[in-house]
Amino acid sequence: MGLLYRHNGDTSYASWASLGPLTLLQVAVAETQSARAFYDDLTSKGENQPKSGRSDNRGIAVVILDALTRRQWVREEDLAKDLKLHTKQLRRTLRFFEEEKIITREYRRETAKGAKLFSAATAATVDVQLTGKEGEEKVKLHTHSYCCLDYAQIYDVVRYRIHRMKKLLKDELDNKNTIEEYICTKCGKRYNALDALRLVSFEDDDFHCESCNGKLEVESDKFVVQEGADGDDNARRRRHEKLKDMLQKMEIQLKPLMDQLSRVKDLPVPEFGSLLAWEARASAMGRAANGDMSGDSKISQLGYNGAPMPYSGDTKVVVDFNGTEGNRHDVKSETESTSLKVLPPWMIKSGMVLTKEQRGEVKEEIKMNGTSTSSSAQYSDDKKSTVDHDDKKNIQDEYIKAYYAALLKQQHELEASSKQELSNTLAANDPSSSAYNRQVGLKSKHEEDDDGTDWEEAPVAGTGNENYKVNDLNVQADVVPADDDEDVDWEEG
Amino acid sequence: MFFHIVLERNMQLHPRYFGRNLRDNLVSKLMKDVEGTCSGRHGFVVAVTGIENIGKGLIRDGTGFVTFPVKYQCVVFRPFKGEILEAVVTMVNKMGFFAEAGPVQIFVSNHLIPDDMEFQSGDMPNYTTSDGSVKIQKDSEVRLKIIGTRVDATEIFCIGTIKDDFLGVINDPATV
Repeated sequence: MGLLYRHNGDTSYASWASLGPLTLLQVAVAETQSARAFYDDLTSKGENQPKSGRSDNRGIAVVILDALTRRQWVREEDLAKDLKLHTKQLRRTLRFFEEEKIITREYRRETAKGAKLFSAATAATVDVQLTGKEGEEKVKLHTHSYCCLDYAQIYDVVRYRIHRMKKLLKDELDNKNTIEEYICTKCGKRYNALDALRLVSFEDDDFHCESCNGKLEVESDKFVVQEGADGDDNARRRRHEKLKDMLQKMEIQLKPLMDQLSRVKDLPVPEFGSLLAWEARASAMGRAANGDMSGDSKISQLGYNGAPMPYSGDTKVVVDFNGTEGNRHDVKSETESTSLKVLPPWMIKSGMVLTKEQRGEVKEEIKMNGTSTSSSAQYSDDKKSTVDHDDKKNIQDEYIKAYYAALLKQQHELEASSKQELSNTLAANDPSSSAYNRQVGLKSKHEEDDDGTDWEEAPVAGTGNENYKVNDLNVQADVVPADDDEDVDWEEG
Repeated sequence: MFFHIVLERNMQLHPRYFGRNLRDNLVSKLMKDVEGTCSGRHGFVVAVTGIENIGKGLIRDGTGFVTFPVKYQCVVFRPFKGEILEAVVTMVNKMGFFAEAGPVQIFVSNHLIPDDMEFQSGDMPNYTTSDGSVKIQKDSEVRLKIIGTRVDATEIFCIGTIKDDFLGVINDPATV
């Protein structure tokens, strides 16, 4: 499912990613399943009125929910535009979802500036095309409404509904809430439990008939005796069968949903917070991304509050240019070698590129390259299942990944050719192996330095790029060329 | 469920109460008359909490009694189907048990007692689980759900169930 990758790659949710991208996926799947299961035949209420019968709304609910699983907070106009739906139609369905407690909505009177703030926020996180939109928005000054899936609530709502459905059927099956009927064995007079107070006798435990003082029996016991005598009984039995059938069918048909729910049960729920909080967070991400070209790795260090979180990073590919950039390391080694520290083992994650010194052991440096390549390869494997999802953001991310991988490979080859001499020079140049300083935990200053060199190198990599893509990341080969214009974007920001 | 509502009643007052305490007399008579009564429409009148308005009295021909239309606020209690109540068990027999929630009588038939509870006759008839951990007998407090009500003009009777989640004994007198 595309969602896995999106949220994995969506670096503004670093803390989410660290909690496990599977959570989102599963909640989303559960959501989609329930949506499919229950709202497939939803026709909005207006449909029932003859005047609005012109358009067929069936299935729209599913489409909208599906789209929402791929977004966080989204302005309803934008959603309508993306889905090519009329806003009225969309709103009608959204209102229904709101009543069903599936989405949360927020309304805000805002100026163009406010809209821009949101746009900026979306730009940082969501795959919405912004160009061209901002211009239109500037003149508007009216209430905008935003909507967002409320995963926690969805989970509860779905569970509650299923529980109610089952309980209703079961209660009726068990005759749980039926009012007992009593019949007099002597005169056949009938009473029910509501008469109980009048029927109690103080002589014994039984109920006694008011008119003949005969003993009363519970009538349901008589069913066996009078079998088939009463048409009413037959109807009741048929109803009983039908209920049983229904309950069984429900169990079977809801099985996948139940499985999904139980799988999601122990996982934390994606929490987007209120619109304002989300916006503030997202725009903070956006700023961070603008300030630093390689926003990909940078943002991953930011938590919800934009505070640095050095070890929340998930699998990240960090390329080091030790082979080609020897001169740069010479310069940097003077400043950076001092900042090297041995990281405690719990801080070290598979994606981090660390020196052996940092891991607390001393080994030959070349080995580290092997580690980082393997991790990148693993990363691309992860993505294989998700490649079909062609969001713009994804493409961009994938391009970056592919680009890095290509660089890495190129560098690898270079290294292979001059392995011996390189290790010699390195050992000579920086004994503390500052070549591997570009790790997740480092501050932006270093990142920026790196970026400068990244771009210097870009044309070099560009020549061999296509080949590498095909060799290296065969799955993504079709995606990357389509995005050549992205290259420009990438460079100027 | 309890409600705070405004009711109206025509009070007949004997001429001997006329005087400067007329109003007080009227109110105390009202309380004596209506508190504890049951009307099918509003339920049990639990307490009069205030007087809204006392209208002009009308002298009855021949008797000298004066009729005052009195509007008063009161708390009423009316049980509803599906409501959860806490009640005290008053009687246990093999057909089930009776319980009281304030003025309301509730009958729980043995079909609506969980299947794992068995009737035990004897000096103190009770319903007990097989392991003896839960016992329903006279003076036990139970939480029950009302599944049916009979509302007459002057009487309300309910039947309840304890065969559901979180229902049953909430305080066993034997252990307290």
